[in-house]
Amino acid sequence: MDKEQLLLKITEAFSKVLEHNNFELQNETTANDVDGWDSVTHMMIINEIENLFSIKFQLMDLMNMQNVGDLVAVLEKELASKA
Amino acid sequence: MKFIQQLAASILNYRDRIAFHINGVDYTYAQFLYKIEGIRGSIRSQIPDDEKLIGLVTHDDLESYAAILALWFEAKAYVPVNPKNPAERNLQVFRQTDTSFVLDSKPDGSLNQFELINTAELGDESDLSVLKPVEDPSKDLAYILFTSGTTGLPKGVPITYSNMQGLVDAIDADEPFNLAPDDRCLQMFELTFDFSVVAYLFPLLAGAGIYTIPQDAIKYLYIFKLIKEQRLSVLTMVPSIINYLRPYFGEINAPSVRYCSFGGGALHFDLAKEWSNCLPNCQIFNYYGPTEFTVYSGYYPYHKETANKSYNGIISTGSPLKNVHYLVADENNKEVSDGITGELCLGGIQLTPGYWKNPERNKKVFFNYEKNGEIIKYYRTGDLCFKDEAGDFMYVGRADFQVKIRGYRVELAEIEYHVKNVMKQKVNVVAIDVLNRLENAELALAFESNNFEIDYIMDYLKEQMPPYMIPSHIEFIAEFPHSLNGKIDRKKLRTYFKL
Repeated sequence: MDKEQLLLKITEAFSKVLEHNNFELQNETTANDVDGWDSVTHMMIINEIENLFSIKFQLMDLMNMQNVGDLVAVLEKELASKA
Repeated sequence: MKFIQQLAASILNYRDRIAFHINGVDYTYAQFLYKIEGIRGSIRSQIPDDEKLIGLVTHDDLESYAAILALWFEAKAYVPVNPKNPAERNLQVFRQTDTSFVLDSKPDGSLNQFELINTAELGDESDLSVLKPVEDPSKDLAYILFTSGTTGLPKGVPITYSNMQGLVDAIDADEPFNLAPDDRCLQMFELTFDFSVVAYLFPLLAGAGIYTIPQDAIKYLYIFKLIKEQRLSVLTMVPSIINYLRPYFGEINAPSVRYCSFGGGALHFDLAKEWSNCLPNCQIFNYYGPTEFTVYSGYYPYHKETANKSYNGIISTGSPLKNVHYLVADENNKEVSDGITGELCLGGIQLTPGYWKNPERNKKVFFNYEKNGEIIKYYRTGDLCFKDEAGDFMYVGRADFQVKIRGYRVELAEIEYHVKNVMKQKVNVVAIDVLNRLENAELALAFESNNFEIDYIMDYLKEQMPPYMIPSHIEFIAEFPHSLNGKIDRKKLRTYFKL
């Protein structure tokens, strides 16, 4: 799966949890840029992504995530270790 | 006041030790003292003696904590407001307390009608070998916090220096909880929330370190980071915060933690049990206490093998601290027998003198009751409890429509009040609490109507209430479910929300 497809699927998880799609996810996107993305919905989004890709993030990785780019990088790492 | 003198002694004694760790930066007690003395200088030169209630805009920085101590050393009280709350709500707070002076380390211009003291630049190193607090009459106030009120206006809870001394004495008298200078303590609360008081006060009295959470960080992830990287030894937290970490408990092993104090909401048995497995060397305390009783009134010492008393899956609130009186009363303020559920009422030195300028409310919730030949003033908490045969108090539920959202008290009636105030449609609306997938409470609004545009209502709510009070789920329901006695069935209403 290439980066674009990953982002598309992640976007799906975001819209499902946030109940809207008024956002465009890019590497630099942070919680400040997306309406409703806060500490409460963050874990739901993470959970949704875990389900979508059938993976489980590690707390150590979640801890240092600053933006969507970090999220994609961690996701790629998880997918690679699964493969 | 003894604890004020102790704070001064502690700051002088431990000048080389870390007092705060804020946003990755360590600050020693000496640096803290430098800030405190600088702010005191401005207070003395700019604020008249008889001005006692001083506004404080709370930030995650050394200045905000130094401002609190500076005000206490000058025998004044802090009235904290959170800059993330709507300006109108913060103005209401200062209007109610007739506050005219405000301390702020990052003024943004929104409070220009007040006499602002910018604390960012202040510091005083003229003589950091002495620290002399102003002597204060014990009846003076130490802080006023505002919580959600049913009438749409936030409700002020004043706490005196005597109230605080009562809390310090009660915790000092309690053997199992003793902080030491090498403790590293979590402070995860906004300073407008009363749980913050115990999270900074007890470490400061012990010369220990206080580790805070940056304002824009995701709290539960940052807490994990601090536990791991800074090897925290003392945690003070609300149960809802670790619910978010629950799916990852398997990865958490924190042998450095020796105390974990919970409060500000019901602690569920299964969560406590799983969490205790992450903290192999830790004692867990389930504290209980409302803002009106100076943070803590009692606790239950949870232990997964030897002490795990619970009712309906909720850990016992335990027994009262020293000099605290618990009374389970019926609607007529009469004590009920052990084992019978009633409303938990609290009496003792830690009790607030009463809600700020609110005689009506005070008449409703405070009463005198004679027990063992002594007349004691009690406060009705709104929490339903019963006392078991061992003398432990078991939490059953609420007697009213107050809910806890991330530890904050929210009156559902206050949300409904603001919705009705702005809503053009003449339809029924109910605010309720619903559980999300992580079992944490969130707020929801149900309208008895077909769909209509509610953006203007939500915009208005955001201008009136702090972010945690804004409902995050909306449903339109053609006809509300009713119970047999004709009331709206809130339990059934919750089933309309699919989270």
